[in-house]
This record gives sequence, C-alpha cells and structure tokens, in this order.
Amino acid sequence: MTALALDGVVARYGDLQVLGPLSLELVRGQTIALVGKSGAGKSTLLSLMHQHWRSRGVALMPQDLGLVPTLSVYHNVYMGGLAQRSSWHNLVTLVRPYRHDVAQILPVLQTLGIDHKCWSATGELSGGQRQRVAAARAIYQAGEVLLADEPASALDGPMAETVLGALTQTYQTAVLAMHDVDLALRFSDRVVGIADGGIALDQPTHRVQASDLLSLY
Amino acid sequence: MLGRIAFCLTLCLVALGASAQTFVFTAIPDEDETRLRERFQAVADYLQEELDVDVRFVPVKSYAAAVSAFRNDQVQLAWFGGLSGVQARARVPGSQALAQGAEDAEFVTYFIAHKSTGLKPGSGLTEELKGMTFTFGSKGSTSGRLMPEYYLRKTYDAAPEEVFDKVGFSGNHSRTASLVATGAYQLGALNYTVWENEVEAGNIDTDEVNVIWETPPYPDYQWTIRGDVDERFGKGFTDKVRKALLNMDDPKLLESFPRSKFIPADNSDYAIIEDVAKQIGLIDE
Amino acid sequence: MRRSASVSTSLWFVALAVVCAFFADLTISAHDPWGELARLFSGLLTPDLTRTDYLAEALVRTLAFAFVGVGLGAASGFALAMVFGSRIVRTFCAFIRAIHELFWALIFLQFFGLHPLTGVLAIAIPYAGVFGKVYAEILEETDPQPRDTLPFGTGKIIALLYTRVSQAWPQLVTYTSYRLECGLRSSAVLGFVGMPTLGFYLESAFAQGHYSAVGALLLLFYVLITTLRLWVRPKLVPLYLMVAPFLLGSGLPIRWQNVTRFFTEDIVPAPLRGGEGWSELGPWLVELLSTEALPGIWNTLVLTQIALVLTGVLTLLLYPLGSRHFTNRLTGPLGHTVLVVLRSTPEYLLAFILLQLWGPSMLPAVIALAVHNSGIIGHLIGRRSNDVTLRPDAPTGIERYAYELTPRLYGPFLAFLFYRWEIIMRETAILGILGIATLGFYVDSAIQEIRFDRAMVLILITALLNIGVDILARWLRARLRLKHTAQSEP
Repeated sequence: MTALALDGVVARYGDLQVLGPLSLELVRGQTIALVGKSGAGKSTLLSLMHQHWRSRGVALMPQDLGLVPTLSVYHNVYMGGLAQRSSWHNLVTLVRPYRHDVAQILPVLQTLGIDHKCWSATGELSGGQRQRVAAARAIYQAGEVLLADEPASALDGPMAETVLGALTQTYQTAVLAMHDVDLALRFSDRVVGIADGGIALDQPTHRVQASDLLSLY
Repeated sequence: MLGRIAFCLTLCLVALGASAQTFVFTAIPDEDETRLRERFQAVADYLQEELDVDVRFVPVKSYAAAVSAFRNDQVQLAWFGGLSGVQARARVPGSQALAQGAEDAEFVTYFIAHKSTGLKPGSGLTEELKGMTFTFGSKGSTSGRLMPEYYLRKTYDAAPEEVFDKVGFSGNHSRTASLVATGAYQLGALNYTVWENEVEAGNIDTDEVNVIWETPPYPDYQWTIRGDVDERFGKGFTDKVRKALLNMDDPKLLESFPRSKFIPADNSDYAIIEDVAKQIGLIDE
Repeated sequence: MRRSASVSTSLWFVALAVVCAFFADLTISAHDPWGELARLFSGLLTPDLTRTDYLAEALVRTLAFAFVGVGLGAASGFALAMVFGSRIVRTFCAFIRAIHELFWALIFLQFFGLHPLTGVLAIAIPYAGVFGKVYAEILEETDPQPRDTLPFGTGKIIALLYTRVSQAWPQLVTYTSYRLECGLRSSAVLGFVGMPTLGFYLESAFAQGHYSAVGALLLLFYVLITTLRLWVRPKLVPLYLMVAPFLLGSGLPIRWQNVTRFFTEDIVPAPLRGGEGWSELGPWLVELLSTEALPGIWNTLVLTQIALVLTGVLTLLLYPLGSRHFTNRLTGPLGHTVLVVLRSTPEYLLAFILLQLWGPSMLPAVIALAVHNSGIIGHLIGRRSNDVTLRPDAPTGIERYAYELTPRLYGPFLAFLFYRWEIIMRETAILGILGIATLGFYVDSAIQEIRFDRAMVLILITALLNIGVDILARWLRARLRLKHTAQSEP
C-alpha cells in the first residue's frame, strides 16, 4: 500500500499564506502527535490532510466534533458506518435501527462509558460526553487512518487515556493534534511540531527532548 | 390498513365509473346560493325519474364557472342566463337552447335606488343619477350587467364608470338588493323576478329602497343542452330532456328558478343578446 | 448610523403611504356599517350549525385539500430545495409562488373543472415554490461540519438526510406545520371559487346575510386552526396523508382534451387565434395594458403601500400582546390568543366580511391585510422580545416599550415587514376578485368574460410585479443590513 504523503502543500486564507509550503509523509502503523502553539496551524494541517487523503479511508475527528445535535448518540456513531451500508439500510436506520447494528455499537459506547446515553439526543450531552461520542463514531468507522484534532481536550485524565487508548488501538495509523504534551508523548510514535507556518520538529517520540518542545511554544 | 386503502380505492373507482355515465347539470348562481344544492337536488330527482339515467346537480360559484363546466363537458345541461347561454353555445358547436321560463321571453331589469338618494319610484334614468354609486350583479349576468349597461350607455352615451362615481359588481341579484337596501350603494340593477321574490318574502323594506326604472323586455334565462348528448345517452335523448323540462309542473320545483312554467326556446331567440354583448364588448366580434 | 438609515427608510415609506392615501378611495359607504357589524357579532354569539347543508362534508374536504395540497407542496418543495443552487430553479420557485393559490385555482378550473385536482394543485404549486425557498434557506443555515466527517463513499442523499436535514429537522417541522395552518386557510378560501370547502358555504351564507350560519362556520374554522397542534401529531401525520386523498371527493371527471384546448387555443392571444397575425398583437397588448393592466398595477401598488405601512404601525402596537415583558400569567395567554385569532383569519375572508359591512372601497382591503399580517409579525416580534433580557431596574410600561424594547426590536421588525411585503402585494392583487380594482379585479373580469388570453397576460404581470417587489425588498434588507433568516415566517 502506498504511503500517505503531502508534498509542498500550502494553506491560504484569502491572499494570506498561513501554512506551508510543507511536505510530510505518513508511515503506515505510525501514530503522529501534532504539537505546537495554539494558532500555529495544527487544525489547518489536519484539514489539509483530510482534503488530500479523504478518498483513502481517512476518518476525521474535528475539534468541533461535527456531531449532529438533533440525532441520538446511536445515530451519530452509526454515521461512521454509513458508507458500508446500502442506502435503504441507512434510511431505515434513521427511523428504526437494526438490532445487529445496535449489538455492534453498544460495546463501543460501553468502552467509552456512554452506553447509558445511547438513545439520548447528542445536543443534550456535556462537552466531555460529546467528545466521546465523536471518538466512538471514529472507532466505529474503523478506517485506515485517523485524523483527530484534540480528541481528548474535554476529558479528565483517566477518561482521556481510555479514549486515546481506544482510538490508537483501532487505528494503527493516526495523526493526533494535541496541546497536552504529556499525553502526546505517551500515545505517539513520532512527534511533528508546527511553528511559523512550517514543520519545526519531526522526531521519533523516544528521541524528543524537552528543549525541542520548548522551542515550539 | 392496506385493506382499508383497497376498500377506499374501490369506492373511488366505482364513483368514477358511475360518474362517467351520469347526466350532470348546473345552474348559474344568480341568487340565494344557500340551500341551492338542496333545492336543485329535487330537480335532479325529477329529471332522473323522467330520463331514466343517473342525474346529478353540481353547484358552481360563478357564471363563468357554469359556462366552463358546460364547455368542458363536465355538465351536459345548464340553466343559463341570456348572456352565459350565448357564451356557452358559441363555444360548444351543436348545443342548443331547449326551454325558457314563461317569464324569460319578456324579461326586464329593475333599476333600484336607496331612499337617501331622494329619487322617486319610477322616476327613470335621469341626469340626477350622475355621480352616484351604482352596483351591477355578476359580471357575467344578462339582467344584472349586460342589459342595464346597454341601457345606461344608450341613455348617457358614456361608459358606466364615467356616469357614476363608483361602479361595483355585487356578485348576484339578491346581494344587489341587500347592498342597495343597506345603502352600501345608492343605486343598483337586478333581475326583476328576484326583486319581486325578495319583496314578497319580506326580505326587502320597500320604504328603504325602490324601483326607479325598468328596461324594455328582452329574452333571458334558458336551459341549454350539449349537442353530443344523443350519442352518449341514446337517440332522442335531447327531446326527452326538452319534454321533461316542459312538463315540469310541480310548483315546488319551479320555485327554484323561480318560474311559473317552462316554454320552448331555441338559439335564434337570443340573437339580440349576442348583438348587445358585442356592442358592449363583452363578446369578441 | 445604521439605525438612522432604518429610521429614514421607514419615514420614506410612511410618507409614501400618506401620499398614496390621497389617491386611494378609503370611504365607508355603507348606510349602517356598525349595524351590520353588530349583526355579524350577534351571529357569532348565536351560531347555528343546522343552517348549512353538508357541513360535515365541507369540514372534511377543507382538511383533505389542505393535507394533500400541503403534503404535495412540501414533498416537491423539498426536492426543489435540493437543487436550489441553480438559478433556473430559484427563478422557477419565485415564479410559481408569485401567483396566488386563488389564481392557480382559477386557471385549473378552466380545464380540470370542479375536480379535486384543481384544489390540490392550486395549493401544492405555490406552496412548493415557498417550501423550496424556505427549506433551502433552513438547510443552508445548518452546520456544514458533520458532512465533512462522514466516511468517504456515503451517498449524497443519505449524507444530506443524516447531517443537514437531521440538524434542521425541528425547524423544518415547525415551518411545515405553520404552512399546514396556512394550507387550511387557503383550502377554506378556495371555496370562494367553487371548491367544496368551508369557504363555499361561508360565501353563500354571507351573501344572504345569514349571520348565524356565518358565525357557526367562522367559529368552526377557528376551532379547527387553534386545535391544530392537538390533533396534528408527528406520528399521526403519515396516517392523515394516506387517508386525505380518499376524502377529496370525486368531483367531475377530467377530460384531457380540455387541457390541450386550454393551452393551444384559450390562452393564445385573440389576434393570433383569430388569424389576424402578429401585426395585430401589438395593438391588442397596448389596449389591454392601458385599459386594464396599468390601472390595476397602479391600484395594486397604492393599496400595497398603505397596507404595508399600516401593518407596520399595527404590529408595533400589537407585539406587546405576545411579549412576556408586558404581560403576566393572566394576560399572556389572552394576548397570545388575540394574535393567533388575528393571524388565523384569512385576509381574503376578512376583506370579504368588511366589504359586506362597510361597502366597497380600498378600506376593507387595507384593514384586512393590516390585521392579518400584523397578527403574524406581532407574534414573531413578541416572541423575539422574549429573548431580550432586561435589567431588573429597567423602566416599566410605556417607557419600557419606547426606550428599551422597541429600539432593540426595530431591526428584526423591519426585516419581517420587508419579508412580508411580497406576500402583502400578492394578497392585494387577489383581493381584486372581491371587487377592489387591483389586478385581481381585471383577472377575474377577464375570466368572467371567458377571455383566458387576457387573464393569463394579467396574471403574468401580477407575478412579475411580485417578483419585482421581492427583489426590491431583498435589496433594502441588504442595504439596511437587516439579518434575514429563514425563520422570518413563523
């Protein structure tokens, strides 16, 4: 399988070039932690990756989560599997979910500790609960690559670890943008630091020094 | 649920199938429309008995709707006014006037005035009328619009809008009577039979409103039938209908029109109406 | 800066309306208008259900036409909303909704006759145009992000249903049920041109001054509308939609050759039909324009302007009835009821009633339009005012009204008013059927004279006028930077 690579990509905001040109190759089986100051362009880089690799089985977990508040938790998670089902199946599910799908989704929710909210409207949930719904959706999608923007920002320590653990277990290949450096180091194989619109750091995690990180902030 | 839908569908199909064979008639809504269906249902029952086919009456809301239904072959027989009959027959080749009321051969229009105008009963179309407010009946009515407009134009040599301060169309004859009676309009023109009926029924206070002029006689209402009914309902059907109409002698039925009896009529009786309509510009030359 | 632009625009509108009022005939000519009104009220107090034959049938038909018409309109409107990005579709929607349902009914009556299809299409077509536009706007306002997170390969329609439609579902439901209420009004009013709904009997009863029958029919109509939320449950709607088509009645059979004839003969301009050729078409058009279209347009514009400004004034007076800042637990529901009754009364019906009571002039139309529309906008502004939080020490009474709330609500108020401008004009045109010399009067005359070619030209002119006003209103909204949202209709 070919590697996923960005080659000299640029992000613009109107006339202003905010990111790039930068190149980055994503190695299969590797989890990248994307770090940098807020506003450095982590989210922009993630969405660039999403645009480029969208058709290749990439799951996205954006910072704003991209949940549908009017739908139940179940339906939001089910949306991760929309592409695998027939239109008819998806249509029926909107009105009345199939039992065998429920049997697949409930364990995912259970892992993340929100199975009791399965049939609640997603809009009624707390920020942390909603973040777990978005994670559950990504896990249920089980694509090739995960692109997650601050996937644990609204969660406390143990739950953040549970969620990140579950995500990285499902996705061998992932890019996680994180502001929490400790978590970033623990759940990644490689660290990519963004500063001044370019890549300022690209190291295997075990070789990253505290000073490397400090220079980013 | 499915059973119910199937049942309803069957009912609809039966209804559609039946109506294809039903002889349908209508009447112009020239006066009191309440209980119109009830009154004309009796006429439908009478015709059904005489003609030996299913007969149905459908009410319409305007003269034009009656003409359209006749022209579109949704009704095969209609009780028209003079003008609407001419309009209808011009659009349906082969259709013919069958019968008219005994009163229709010499019909007249009454011009009425509210007492506040100070006009005396029978005072005629004088210069005093100029600048007052005036209402016709329906836009498509012979006695409520065509003939009064004709005589207004003849008398004043001007369009009604120029003679009067305001010109309205009440919609039907009984409404003309009540609008002038309440003073909403100072003057009005209407079918004389409706007027006399309303006066007799005590609906009009003749102290408040009175007749100031009546037009010379002209032919008006008639039964008109489509030319293709013999094909659809059997040979001689037209004659059967004419006979049934002429033989209608139950006062209760005749009251619906209101006429004392029906007499034979034919298309040529209404040539004068057509001429007048063309002069006024209600029918294209 | 912005506010002063709003205020000066408002003043221009008021000044224009005052000038228009000089040209308009606003007299009460009835001899005893208040006596008639008293008789009407006594009729409302002594309703008599037995005076109307076929009452139950009329009720069922009114509901059936509303459900089928609005259902079809919503379904096709939804389809149109999917492709609303296309200019052709937008223009198409603007055109079909610019023609009032009564005009559509008058057109269909000519070739479908008294068949249920006439009433159903008369509602469904203009409603589809409105639904298309509003659905598109509602969907447009949803958050696009969920769409981005869907797995690659998700079908377009499924994606739309799961993301945009699901997000907008509450608004779509609220709006559609509001339109159902409108549909009931339209359905009832279609009776005035011959559909077997409540309006059919109401018109007859009114014409004869049977006020107790009128009272019964009116009360029945209000009960129908006010209880709408009680019996129209989301779960029951599919059932209603399935049953309604079977309750339309059979009417008279359609003959398809009439349809062909209508389009190939009836609406062809007389000179072309008569074989006089294209050279005669010019004079024919000029004659039609100068004797009917221009006076009709003039009266329509004058009446619309007065009605629009009066609607605005009345709205500003009425909105406190729907605002928690001016009502308490007792007066709140009462005020709400008043606004609901005002907005539930079809303007066509109200104008008809007032014409009977006051005699012919523009006044009944102006009052009817202002009352109905200010009921709608007042309701919306009242609701909007409930979102405003006042300081605990805010002034009360008239000062609260003049200094606290009205200035804050003025922007949305103007936005709503401009939004309804086009609707008021459409209604103004249609009121002509009742005898006020707006465009509808000439359309009705042409139809009564069985000259559909002239009627079609006049209807087209009416539609273009509506589209023009819509564009003008949108331009004004943009210029005054008034936020316009899809919820501009409740």
